[in-house]
Amino acid sequence: MPDTSTGVVVIGGGSTGAGVLRDLAMRGIDAILIEKGDLASGTTGRSHGLLHSGGRYCVNDLAAAIECVEEGRILRRIARTTVEDTGGYFVSVSEEDEAWEPRFVEGCRKAGITCERISVEEARRREPALSKQVRTVFWIPEDGHLDPFYLVVGNVESARRRGGQVRTYTEVIGFTRNGNRVSGVLTRDAMTGEETSIGCQAVINATGAWSGFVARLLDVEVKVVPVKGVMVILSRRLAHAAINRCHKPGDGDIVVPGLSVAILGTTAVKVPHPEVLPIEWDEVQMLIDEGAKMLDGVTTARAMRAYAGVRPLYDLGAEAEGREMSRNFAVIDHEERDGIAGFTSIVGGKVTTYRLMAERVTDLVARRLGVSTKSTTAEVPLNDREDELDQLRHRPAHLGVPKPHGEEVALQPLLCECELVRPQDVEPWMKDPAVRTLEDVRRRTRSGMGPCQAAICSYRLAGRLVTDRGVDGRTATRAMADFLETRWRGVRHVFWGSQLRQAQVTTGVHLELFNVDRQLTKYFPPPLAGEGQGGGVPAEAAEVEAVGQP
Amino acid sequence: MITEDRETFSDTVEEEHPVEACTKCTACNTVCPVARTTEIFRGPKFLGPESERYRDQHEATVTAGLDLCSGCKLCEVTCPSQVSIQEYIRRAQNKGAREKGRTLRDWLLGHTRLLSRFGSLTAPLANFGNRNPLFRLLMERVVGIHRRRPLTKYQWLTFESWFKRHRKNPPLPLGEGRLGARRSVAYFYGCWVDFNERRLGQQVVAVLERNGIEVIVPRQQCCGIPAVVNSNTDLARKYGVENVRRLSQLPAGVDIIASSTSCGLMLKHDYAHLLEIPGAEQVGSRVYDVCEYLWMLHEAGELDIEFQPVDTRVLYHAPCHLKSHGIGYPAMRLLRLIPGVRVEEVDEGCCGISGTYGVKVEKYDLSMKIGSRLFEAVKAAGSDSVLADCETCRMQVEHGAGSRSAHPIDILARAYGYR
Repeated sequence: MPDTSTGVVVIGGGSTGAGVLRDLAMRGIDAILIEKGDLASGTTGRSHGLLHSGGRYCVNDLAAAIECVEEGRILRRIARTTVEDTGGYFVSVSEEDEAWEPRFVEGCRKAGITCERISVEEARRREPALSKQVRTVFWIPEDGHLDPFYLVVGNVESARRRGGQVRTYTEVIGFTRNGNRVSGVLTRDAMTGEETSIGCQAVINATGAWSGFVARLLDVEVKVVPVKGVMVILSRRLAHAAINRCHKPGDGDIVVPGLSVAILGTTAVKVPHPEVLPIEWDEVQMLIDEGAKMLDGVTTARAMRAYAGVRPLYDLGAEAEGREMSRNFAVIDHEERDGIAGFTSIVGGKVTTYRLMAERVTDLVARRLGVSTKSTTAEVPLNDREDELDQLRHRPAHLGVPKPHGEEVALQPLLCECELVRPQDVEPWMKDPAVRTLEDVRRRTRSGMGPCQAAICSYRLAGRLVTDRGVDGRTATRAMADFLETRWRGVRHVFWGSQLRQAQVTTGVHLELFNVDRQLTKYFPPPLAGEGQGGGVPAEAAEVEAVGQP
Repeated sequence: MITEDRETFSDTVEEEHPVEACTKCTACNTVCPVARTTEIFRGPKFLGPESERYRDQHEATVTAGLDLCSGCKLCEVTCPSQVSIQEYIRRAQNKGAREKGRTLRDWLLGHTRLLSRFGSLTAPLANFGNRNPLFRLLMERVVGIHRRRPLTKYQWLTFESWFKRHRKNPPLPLGEGRLGARRSVAYFYGCWVDFNERRLGQQVVAVLERNGIEVIVPRQQCCGIPAVVNSNTDLARKYGVENVRRLSQLPAGVDIIASSTSCGLMLKHDYAHLLEIPGAEQVGSRVYDVCEYLWMLHEAGELDIEFQPVDTRVLYHAPCHLKSHGIGYPAMRLLRLIPGVRVEEVDEGCCGISGTYGVKVEKYDLSMKIGSRLFEAVKAAGSDSVLADCETCRMQVEHGAGSRSAHPIDILARAYGYR
């Protein structure tokens, strides 16, 4: 007998998995989502957050571009506040770029993308930071920014309101089978090691770049090619809109305005394993150099950190590599293909098309389960950030100055001053059992994503762990140190200028003032050879979070 | 020129994007007089570099809380990363005011020179009005000037007109002073000396001429600081351009001195950096505070130090804007040269008035609270008077601590036998 039973188990807590959970919940199908790390801690959370208009794919990958056009419009409607309507520019900075222009314009026309050529002067009036090298500018109003964390959390919360469940830090270690039919999932808690079984009628494998590993547990093959992309985060938006190079998609050709930051992207390197994502110095240097061709100030701006994500490109068998591969997705019906009933994989695709991917796979699974309800995810809004809490985030004004002056009403303190996170933004997550580490709090609140990279908010959040969760001081200290450690992993790649000075301040606060390292060795003596962990997050879990976005 | 190799103010660590130099160390918040006094203010770190990240030229400026900044600039003095905190606050405030409009009061307080000229022309009437409780109540209701705030007394005879007369009939024939007129300075007297405290200007001129320095008084406009702190850097820039144009025309080798620390700071630093006025850097490098100038003269061995003893015990309050000059306290050093003068610094921070800040109805109480530590210390010390280089600091100390106050030049002039 399994410990729990449900209708469908969704594996993978990225945008696709979250979208599937919501779709299932909205069709009234019981479901549990399991994720081996935190929500959005894999590919989704490490994307650059561009809501694709389709412009980047319209020449080489028309099918993907058309999907982006449609899905982009749907997301603007259902995830209104998760999307920022920045618009985008495609700029030419060289002769080769100019040669690409006719193909680009033609591609936009075919895909139905609104594209308008504007004068360089007009573009510079709108975006004063545009570089002097810019020769031609196309305005693509439907590019945008999609906050990947809010998107996933918004989908999961919407599903939870409809009965969907979520378990984070829960790894799949095997399946139970009933003949050719998958009848359940065996899981292990990544932190406590506790094993449980979930009985179910169907399993959806939405693990993206990890799909092959999950499928292998059932002895079936899913060929996904993990392709690494490195990104550099600058501490503020240099431009209001997304800036793309108007050329054949290549390395370092995009600058995405991500809420309070600018993200320089990206590279495409095939990697042997989705968790082996080294960031090389020349990649960082290249991103900055290439970014500077499109925008002034990239080289002098404060680089905050670098991170790497992995694209889950599905090998359709074509002789393509990296960027040449389609960004299309595929639903793999393992019952038909491999004779294993109750197991379906959804592979390929991209964050912008997550909803469509979720709809397609849920259609198949629902049909098999005999549920005929249609998907309504394209119509019903996420209610993602409908509460004032999130809408305020980017406008310091609303943090309030009591009027009239003279009546001294103390202002609410902020937990994270860089990203304007208030105590009440953090409070609900302190009560959520799916939130286990301070990194998880960060993904849901942006706390620690600003220029100081958690130098200040880390100890305030550690304090909240004590007051809100009742953990003891040593556990909170450990959580704080782990949080800083994950921040550090991204910061170390951009170690110059202000961020280097920042690290000095952070070191001063935590090592000299708080004496954190001494406290840790006191509480958690280093393990002797052959012994277990010192405590806290297992090395494995920490590794997964190594390069989380910003 | 008093010195050849004077460095101009260097502004920031990363000249291009100084906002990004902030390391969130919070040193600015700990010295901010407003943040230390009230919890309704988030402090310079938040309103400066932190909010600056979110400001966008395409969007309406969020102005909430910006007006609570008094503009004392201690944050910038303290910042180890040399972030131009004040510049972000003032520019944002100006952009917000452009979008939303200014109140009558802020418009009036920004146009100090206009206001003062009017006050001076109608001196007896204006002074009567400023002391009439009924009129003050009306002023509080209509304009928003706190009724308990003593306002400045206007003088009918301006410094400018006095100096014209003085020029015709100097006490010492030029070139025949004790040391001979080997140097010339242009005196930027500012609106205060012109309309409210002519005597201070006369003392400055006397002290300089006593040392054989020719004093030139160029035509000048308000330095612009009242406009800067009243959300109107546009107006300040207009004034600044006018001043820079006139001061640039001074013959080479003429230093510029100011007897108001705030006017001096505008000329030295803010014209070039906050207001970005072309040519201001060159003018700024010639500007000295009057006490700074006299001390440099002393260091060059040119100051007449044959002082008459002045038997007095005084407190010295260092104005916040003097700290921004980064020149130490030259007034205290000068006063220690005078026999009989016992001078002690009262190190209790900002007095709270910050120019026009403490005049406003909603900020009067806060202003008095900020200054309360200073007032207590002054009362406890029981000295003859409090010296301060800044005119509004003097007003505030007189009002808050009930003591007498003067510019340090006052003692110096007395030591030279000037009445």
